[in-house]
Amino acid sequence: MPRPGFVLEVDERTPPLLVHSGESFRLQDFPLGSRVIYPPESLPGVPDVDEAIEQALLHPLDSEPLPSLLHAGMRLTIAFDDLSLPLPPMRKPDIRQRVIEHVLEHAARAGVDDVQIIAANALHRRMTPDELKAIVGERVFRSFFPDNLVNFDAEDRANLTHLGMTDENEDVEISKRAAESDLLVYVNVNLVAMDGGWKSTAIGLASYNSLRHHHNSHTMVHSRSFMDRHSSQLHSSAWRMGRVLNEHVKVFQIETTLNNDAFPSQYGFLTKREWEWSMRDQATFLGAKRGIDMMPAKARRKLFQSMEAPYLVTGISAGAVEPVHDATLERVHRQQLVDVDGQSDVLVLGLPYLCPYNVNSVMNPILAACLGLGYFFNMYVGQPLVRKGGAIILNHPVPWEFSTLHHPSYVDFFDEVLSVSTDPKVIEQKFEQQYATDPWYIHLYRTSYAYHGVHPFYMWYWCAHALDHVGDVIWVGGDRRAVARMGMRSASTFADALEMASDTVGRSPSITYLHSPPHVLARVNGSHP
Amino acid sequence: MAGLRITEALAGKHLLVTGVTGFVGEALLERLLYDLPNTRITVLVRPRGATTGEDRTRQLLTKPAFARLRERDGGEAVDALVGTRIHVLDGDLDGIPALPTDIDVVVHCAGEVSFDPPIHDGFATNLHGTLNVLAAVRETNTAPHYVHVSTAYVAGRRQGHVTEGRLDHAVDWRAESAAAMRVRDAVNDASRDAGKLAEFLREAERRHGAQGPSTVASEAERLRVEWVGKQLVDAGRERARTLGWTDCYTFTKAMAERAVEETASDLPVTICRPSIIESALAQPSPGWIEGFKMAEPLILAYGRGDLPDFPGVPDASIDIIPVDYVVNAILAACATTPPPGEPSYFTICSGARNPLTFRHLYDLVREYYSHHPLEQRDRGAVRAPVWEWPGAQRVEQLLKLGERAHKTADRVVTSLPRSSRTRDWARSLDRQGRRLEFLRRYFDLYRPYVDAELHFSDSATLALHHSLDPEDVERFGFDAATIDWDYYIADVHVPAVTTPLRAFTGGRSVKRPPTVHELPRGDGPDGSLVAVFDMDGTLLPSNVIESYLWLRLPELSSARRVREVADVARALPRWLLTERRDRGAFLRSVYRRYAGAEYDELLRIVDDDVTDTVLGRLSAAAVRKVREHRAAGHRTILITGAIAPLVRPVAPLFDEIVAADLAVGADGRCTGFLVRPPLVGEGRGAWLRHQAARNGWDLAGSYAYADSASDLPLLRAVGHPVAVDPDITLSRIARRAKWPIESWHARPPVGPLLPAGRDRRALEGSSR
Repeated sequence: MPRPGFVLEVDERTPPLLVHSGESFRLQDFPLGSRVIYPPESLPGVPDVDEAIEQALLHPLDSEPLPSLLHAGMRLTIAFDDLSLPLPPMRKPDIRQRVIEHVLEHAARAGVDDVQIIAANALHRRMTPDELKAIVGERVFRSFFPDNLVNFDAEDRANLTHLGMTDENEDVEISKRAAESDLLVYVNVNLVAMDGGWKSTAIGLASYNSLRHHHNSHTMVHSRSFMDRHSSQLHSSAWRMGRVLNEHVKVFQIETTLNNDAFPSQYGFLTKREWEWSMRDQATFLGAKRGIDMMPAKARRKLFQSMEAPYLVTGISAGAVEPVHDATLERVHRQQLVDVDGQSDVLVLGLPYLCPYNVNSVMNPILAACLGLGYFFNMYVGQPLVRKGGAIILNHPVPWEFSTLHHPSYVDFFDEVLSVSTDPKVIEQKFEQQYATDPWYIHLYRTSYAYHGVHPFYMWYWCAHALDHVGDVIWVGGDRRAVARMGMRSASTFADALEMASDTVGRSPSITYLHSPPHVLARVNGSHP
Repeated sequence: MAGLRITEALAGKHLLVTGVTGFVGEALLERLLYDLPNTRITVLVRPRGATTGEDRTRQLLTKPAFARLRERDGGEAVDALVGTRIHVLDGDLDGIPALPTDIDVVVHCAGEVSFDPPIHDGFATNLHGTLNVLAAVRETNTAPHYVHVSTAYVAGRRQGHVTEGRLDHAVDWRAESAAAMRVRDAVNDASRDAGKLAEFLREAERRHGAQGPSTVASEAERLRVEWVGKQLVDAGRERARTLGWTDCYTFTKAMAERAVEETASDLPVTICRPSIIESALAQPSPGWIEGFKMAEPLILAYGRGDLPDFPGVPDASIDIIPVDYVVNAILAACATTPPPGEPSYFTICSGARNPLTFRHLYDLVREYYSHHPLEQRDRGAVRAPVWEWPGAQRVEQLLKLGERAHKTADRVVTSLPRSSRTRDWARSLDRQGRRLEFLRRYFDLYRPYVDAELHFSDSATLALHHSLDPEDVERFGFDAATIDWDYYIADVHVPAVTTPLRAFTGGRSVKRPPTVHELPRGDGPDGSLVAVFDMDGTLLPSNVIESYLWLRLPELSSARRVREVADVARALPRWLLTERRDRGAFLRSVYRRYAGAEYDELLRIVDDDVTDTVLGRLSAAAVRKVREHRAAGHRTILITGAIAPLVRPVAPLFDEIVAADLAVGADGRCTGFLVRPPLVGEGRGAWLRHQAARNGWDLAGSYAYADSASDLPLLRAVGHPVAVDPDITLSRIARRAKWPIESWHARPPVGPLLPAGRDRRALEGSSR
């Protein structure tokens, strides 16, 4: 039986703890009394994945079994989560491949010929053929690519349908093919609590016209947190849209959950508790750390980007969106939830090399900020791990580096927008429209492998809640210029960062370190200890 | 005993003065106007363009030298002098108009100011100019007193005492003059020799081959003219030295003296020989100086820390004389008419009775700078170097070593691949080069003066001084023994020399490199505006060889890939050599390798593979700039030597694209030839001008962005050229021309940190 997650209080016997920092990691001493939140150990996978998939398809929640929804002559659309999930990418075969193959087998048996498979990438970049193949597998790729295995194009006006407005006057505009199908099957990977549910279809297949209603600074500030859908305005909006969607198209949602095996076995030390490291773990750590630091940048990036996680599947649910998602969340919580007593003055986060938007690419400063302030900060239910007005200390080198192929509008956003203001609200009013409708960005989004022009704005809005909540953001080891551009400060060491934070939180703050990855979701009760 | 009273002696006299726009002439004119109210003056001034001699004289009267005169008499009264007391003759030494017939004294100050003029120029100005003045005097059928301003250094290279009097030499000035004119013709002819011309052309091609033939041609002609000039300067200097003079200046001055002695034996003649003339001790104002002469550049260079040591002998004297002493002596000479045929000689110098040694001068200057150091922009005070006086030979050795090292480093840097680092190296090399050039020029100039340990005697001048009435001594005296060097150097001369520099650096805001400012919106006054961009090296770091490999390798088997890469690597040195000489030929030879490639396949490869590479490398700053121009309503144009398929990924950014078109055979395969010649070098400039004329573009208001010297004709075709990550040659030219230099492929420089608290405010703002 895997051990549940727990909160360690640092004492004299606590060894230095592992902290991720971009394409490296290090061991860091924490002040006595600091709290360290460890995720639960990896749950066991389902014994037979194929069997579990079949079970889910044949005994769905609040829905007829899949076979009875399929008939010859129908239009079937299968949508799936794009390469932003899971992180790191899953060792092949990807769970989406296995689910899609099962769905297609049922469809074939029922004589369905009109099948289209769509990557639900919304305003994310298109995936390359190789990236598509990695998710759906060789067999599906060969049969469907390029005509019937496609990236969603949110700027292809001819292939969008406006389904109506929600009761809060939000446009619901999604993929025409998906909206006009007799059945829309969605295959997801529910890595964290934020994923899945109506977010899959109502966001993954939507256009800017629709997304702007919830991807804005106001909604994001009031999503507390993204990981707690009942307290997240973002999710409420997605759920409203889902209901509109539900009136037009039958959605068969298939959600899958993974355990916490985020790193290959040779990097086992990354998922172990430091005082339990064997001699071998210590040796591998030392070797890996030395090796990685000595590597040329290119090789180091290649090494990290080629890492595949040996995730096990902890469960599959299928059927109507909402009951399926409830079941999914229950499994996600089992794997990630840890109870924490009260908030602290300082939250320490170690940011790894990867976030949803730099798979096979560069983690630019905006993405690093989003990973820390948008994602890790939001890994809570209840109230944030850090008190209002507290400080966040992030560990990441924040190199001033961009992929002009994948993130062309990010470069301009960084140079032209953040140099004017770092206030999400100001930025939204002043610049968003211009970037969202820029023909060159749209051209690149549609024909190249670029994120949509408006995407960096979304990344910055993701940070809005954290920026609103905390009083100080300090990056340990961050490129000074890049960090300053974002309106934040950079410290050389953790000790210096604490020194700098003392202006905000005093000289003996309470400190919480979220020991992640793998993912851990903190349920924070009570008040400031 | 009543002595000479200058004001009275020259009252009612009519003086002709040449060279009033020069240093001594201007000071002399000022004294005449200020202290000799009853003396009439005729000046010979060369009209310049539409400005007549009179206008120039009026302008002259507004200069600082005349400040005290304007203050005493009022500006309008001074302006009114032209045409009344001052009669202006429009003309120069080559064309002297008829002189007034009532001239009493001619003061000939005009002359060549350069020490190193081409030999024929030296003779034309110093010798023939003097002869022309004498001829013009003769035309008037009068016999005025002719006062000839020469130099003490006409004595030539010698050691020991130099007495006042006729120079002791037997050089035939007529023969030397004729020879100088022959040398000019001979050198000109030699420069047109086929072998020589081929040499110029080769060198021009090496330097500018990539830009195209007409640039090469004009460069070759420039090289020829430069060579002729240098030969003639060398001829002047060497001829002077073989005859015992320091340089062409003193040589031709000496020839002129002899010519005066021989041709003006029927006139009263006085020859004044000042030594090194420096700023005024008292009149018109302490420290007044016009232009920088001999010692000033050195004094400034020393203060800037640029003069690490000096080739002189510390205890040798440097013969300096303030300009007002020279003017006083000339005035006294004017008032003292010798009998015809018995010229008077006056050496106006300080070395005879009040010598200033180099060491003393150095101590005074150093002392001055230690109390009033020059400020270097943003670098604080400059430390003035301490001289070791290692001797001329050692200094020469060090300088030679420096020059050799510089030359080698320059060759290396010029051939290095471009980067912001190599550009920085080139910049600091250029700075060092300018410093070396300066040292070389001044060391060469001074060498003969510091080598020659001359001691001028000035007994005739002293006697002239003593002839002054005691009342005139104060105002018109010129006894060099009265100069207090400590006061003159430290309190008058060096402050006067450094003041303009301090005003220059102190008053100005920090000089920033030029940048492209806000783009004007819409059309220019003369038509629509365009922005022209080069692709390889400008929009993205790439080159035709690399892109050739991107295109060709995907369709080849792996074995053939290896072979292809090896072939390309083998051809590389040859290609690079070709590129330096002729970029068009280089492109053709690379594109020949496309022979046999399927054109459609190339297009597919671009769309499938190369687009990512191109867009991934595309500089974000470049794209932004293109888009800015578009947003401003300018027509965006891409001119590239790359083949058309490669341009596809960036095509949506441009309104017009000019790329190389591969010819395709009937079988759909490339022939290896181009449909038309690639647009390179001058072709780009010509294309742009042609299109501008046809389409009504306003090139003067338009922009061009390029990275290499071969794009110069393109850059020069527009009013706003911008060098982008330029190669060394272009970066040098751009810096000199003050074109903006942008870096699109490097990280931006460190910006200021956000002001404290700004982020906090922003955060608070978003919660409300």
